[in-house]
Order: sequence, then C-alpha cells, then structure tokens
Amino acid sequence: MRTALDHREPDRIPLDFGSTAVTGIHVSCVAALRDYYGLAAGPVTVHEPGQMLGRVEDDLRAAMGLDVTGVFPRKAKFGLPATDWKEWNFRGLNVLMPGDFRARTEPNGNILTYPEGDETVAPSGRMPMGSAFFDTIIRQPEIDEEKLDPADNLEEFGPISEEDLNHIERSVRVACGSGYGVVASFGGTSFGDIALVPAPSLKNPKGIRDVAEWYMSTRTRRSYIHRIFERQCELGIENLARIHAGIGDAVDCMFVCGTDFGTQTSAFCSVATFRELWFPYYKLVNDWVHANTAWKCFKHSCGSVERFFESFIEAGFDIVNPVQCSAAGMDPAELKRKYGSRLVFWGGGVDTQKTLPFGTPQEVREEVLRRCEIFAPGGGFVFNSIHNLQAGTPVENIVAMVRAVHEFNGGSHA
Amino acid sequence: MPDLDKLHQAVIEGDWKAAAAATQAAIAAGVAPLTIVTGCLVPAMDEVGRLFECEEYFVPEMLLSARAMKASMAIVRPLLAAAGTEPVGRVVIGTVKGDLHDIGKNLVASMLEGGGFEVIDLGADVAPERFIEAATTRNANLVALSALLTVTMPSMKTTVDAFQSAGLREKVKIMVGGAPVTQQYADAIGADGYSESAGGAVALARRLAVV
Repeated sequence: MRTALDHREPDRIPLDFGSTAVTGIHVSCVAALRDYYGLAAGPVTVHEPGQMLGRVEDDLRAAMGLDVTGVFPRKAKFGLPATDWKEWNFRGLNVLMPGDFRARTEPNGNILTYPEGDETVAPSGRMPMGSAFFDTIIRQPEIDEEKLDPADNLEEFGPISEEDLNHIERSVRVACGSGYGVVASFGGTSFGDIALVPAPSLKNPKGIRDVAEWYMSTRTRRSYIHRIFERQCELGIENLARIHAGIGDAVDCMFVCGTDFGTQTSAFCSVATFRELWFPYYKLVNDWVHANTAWKCFKHSCGSVERFFESFIEAGFDIVNPVQCSAAGMDPAELKRKYGSRLVFWGGGVDTQKTLPFGTPQEVREEVLRRCEIFAPGGGFVFNSIHNLQAGTPVENIVAMVRAVHEFNGGSHA
Repeated sequence: MPDLDKLHQAVIEGDWKAAAAATQAAIAAGVAPLTIVTGCLVPAMDEVGRLFECEEYFVPEMLLSARAMKASMAIVRPLLAAAGTEPVGRVVIGTVKGDLHDIGKNLVASMLEGGGFEVIDLGADVAPERFIEAATTRNANLVALSALLTVTMPSMKTTVDAFQSAGLREKVKIMVGGAPVTQQYADAIGADGYSESAGGAVALARRLAVV
C-alpha cells in the first residue's frame, strides 16, 4: 500500500474494505461474506452504528485478501463508546452494538435511536422500514439571528480527552501490529460535513443544525461559518499534535474530512466558494500534518468533484475517495490522466449505484478489470468500491469484485 | 410594474423578506394574485433553474430562491384559493418508503410550486398507500417520487405497481428522480417520466400535465 501511496507501481493493487466509515461494508454484507467464506458464525460487530457498518475482522480480511485496516475514534456515531458490545436483533440479523446503544421501534416499524443512548432526550437517529441504516433526525432550535453564536456549532469539538488519546494509542498499536496498511480516523477535522452538522451525538444541539439551513448559511452567514471553521481548525491541529506525540508516524494515512462537495450531476458550491470558505482550513490542517508527520492526508467527497481536484492538491490532500466515476465529469481515464501522478485514487473500483447491487457477477468482473487497467499503472491506486458496500448487495457480486481484483493482480486469492 | 420587478429580483437573489414585502406591495397596488404567479414567480423560478443548469447557482442558492418564492406564495396562495383559480396541475410529491433524504425532493417541490403547480408535499418516507390516498382525495394528475438510495429505489416500483393495482394508473402520470435513478430505470418500472434536475422536473411536469 505504501508503494501505491508513493505513486510507484506495486506488485499488486492494494485492496481496502473496512478501514474507514466511507470504505466499509454494511453489517448484513459482512455477515453474508463471513458465511460465504465459511468463517466462524456469530453476531457481527457494528462499529459504525449510523451507516450500520460491520467490522471487518482479521479472518475476513485474510479471506478477502485485503491490505488495509483502520483506527477509529473511541466514540462512534450518536456519541456511543465503542465498548461493552451487546446483541441486538437488527430485523432478523443478530448483531453487536455499542453497549450504550438504545433503540425504540415505532408502531410503523421505524426504529429510533438516541444520543449517548439517553432515552430521556429527543432521538437523533431514525431507520425507516425499508432502509438499512440510521438517518440523522434534524433537531433545529429556533434561530435568533441576534443571538447566533459560533460556539453553539462548536459544542462537539474540543480538546481531546486522555480517554480518547489512550483509545487511539491502543488502537494504533493493535492496527500497526497487524502488518496491514493503516488509515486513522481521529475525528475533528471534517469542516461542515453535512452528516455531522445535525450533531447526532449531542443531546440538545444548538446553533445551525438543519441541513438546508446550513447550506443556505454557507451563502448568507459566511462570517459565522468562518468563525466555526477557524476555531475547529485550531482545536483540530492542537489535538493532532497531542495524538502525534502519542503515536508518532505509525499510521500511514489520516482521514481528514468527509464533507461532500459533489452531487450526481453538479456540485454543492462553486470552486470560488470552496477556495474562500474551506480551502484555508484544509491547507492549515494538511500543512501541519505534512510538516510534522509522515501521514498522508485522505479526503472523501462524493459526486461530481473533478472541478475541485486542483484545489484539493493545492490544499495538500494526497488521497481522494470515493472517486465516483458514475457522477458527471468523473471519467476514470480522464481523471487518471490529469491527476494520477498527484492524487491517489482510493476508490472508483466499481459502481455501487448500479453495477454492484444490480448487475451480474460477470458485469461486476468486467467493470472491475477495466477500472484496474485504468487506475493501476504507475501506482496511486487503492482498490475500493465507490463508497461503502450497501445493504442488499448480492454476496456473489461482492465476491466477483474481490476475485476480479486478485485476478488482475495475477493471483487466485478468494 | 416596479413591484413585480422587485419581487422577481428578490426571488433570484433568494431574499425572502424582500420577496414577502414586494408581494404585499404588489397586492396593495392591485396586481392580481394570478399575475404575481404567472407573470413573476414562474419566470423567476425558471431563471433560477436556468442558473442552476449552467452552474452559476448551486444548492444553497436554489434553497434560498425557493424560500423566497415560498414566502411570496404563502401570501398569494390564499388569495388564489379564494378566487377559485385553477393551478397548472396538481402534484403529489414525496420520497419513497424507506428514504428520508428530502433536499432534492424539496427543491423539486419548490420549483414545481414556482412553476404554477399546486404541490401536495407528503414529506419523506412515504408509503405507497399514502401516495394513492393523497392523489385520490386531492384529485392530483401528477405524482412525483424521489429516492436517493439504491436500497430504496425498489420502493419506486412498489409505488408505481400500487397505483396500477388501485386502478389509478390511467388517471395520474408518475415522474421519478433522485441521484441513482435513470431514464432506463424509470422505463423499467413503468414510470411516465424522469428528470435528472429540479428545473428539468418542471418542464417534464408541464409536458405530462397536458398529455
């Protein structure tokens, strides 16, 4: 993986599933894969209870021939410490959830969950019938323009605690002892990630928490957003310094930010807005990382984002994900030609909107082989599907994808 | 009519307070409510759609313009109803069962409303029977289904099939949209139309409404 990240062609394409909350596998698919590969039965651990991502244990990692593992923050979505796992019947599938996880099923079958598992406050997540993960419930207090205080949008950011530091240090030791490449998600440096703006972990969120109101605020309350990002950036860098003091250069990559700038056909803002509102803070974080560590900086953004790639590079991002080739202006060959020597493509391996969930195993194989032919030359490619493997994806198609990567690599693994 | 120019500009610029004030001023000056809609809000939202299509506007600007248009419509709508004015068409809209992602749906609803349609917005995570009930009781001629997720796309087919089973398929046109949805998928599930953008959805609705 390190060879690929250095833009040199490795002996084989490294393969990631499960190292981050955007390169993961839905718990139902993890269970199906474990069954397919004949691994030990039993409930799968849900390490990310929002998207219901299942933990990829070492035995599954070995069975699939994966090359990367992840380090995650102590607290998962909804403010739930990743500990004291307990069984939960997830619509017929027995899974392990964080001990503080609480769920209530409404008469219509929707499932509600609560920040820090506190059922005395309003729920912050809802999983409708027919869905397979929790969406954040918007809890927007009435906005008084005169009293809006950026500190209200900073409640979830603060100096990292000793407990959190110890967790990261322990997790890094385990991950680095595994022999796999390591991506670390420390948290705190995602600027305006719309999945986190509603603050699913907070019991009584204040400030601007409604998704539409936030998007409009990027236009109408820009100085307010700047003040949030400024302080978040200061805190983030202070925390990174403390984390680095504890773990050194042990990890390979740092997940910096998951803010989406692209839609299927367009973008959420212009390049000019990006450069005015986000770029300065990304550059400060990435510059600090590059000046003080050996970590590579990982940027996730769905959608049609080719227009931002020059700015991403200038801001110091080394890696982009998920490389949504199905979005407008995201032709894989063109991306590789224009940016392949300057950005690592971590993703783009196969379409998860159409081919993987609805195609045949043969169609999956053909698409994977085509993408590998495009992205592999010269390194700078870590194979991952375009975003997490979604619930309902046929296990035969997942296996066909994995096999195709190994076929391209010249082996017969999995 | 200077007041309508102000209203037009307020919608384009996404200034809801100015839009509300300009609407009140226009009504006070004797401008007919229907004129405010057809002569100002419809062309203003068409222009917003055009700006979005050519990427001068993005989601935040669209949301702001939609809010300004709604501020105007909130004043005009009761007057239209009192005068018995018929809309271009009646659209029942919602995200399909299981899908809570409603920003795209909200934008389409606003654009349709700004395009002169009466919009019955059922919100998010809408079961097929609720679409049917609303289309029946509100005498809608269009149904607009939205889905962001691949896992909820099948609910679009379920909803189209439910209209078929209820014997309503000839009475309403069904249009679909959302990030993973394609024309091919729309054809496969028997929908009448697909649009990849909010602006395109208005043009599609106008075509379907006259068929």
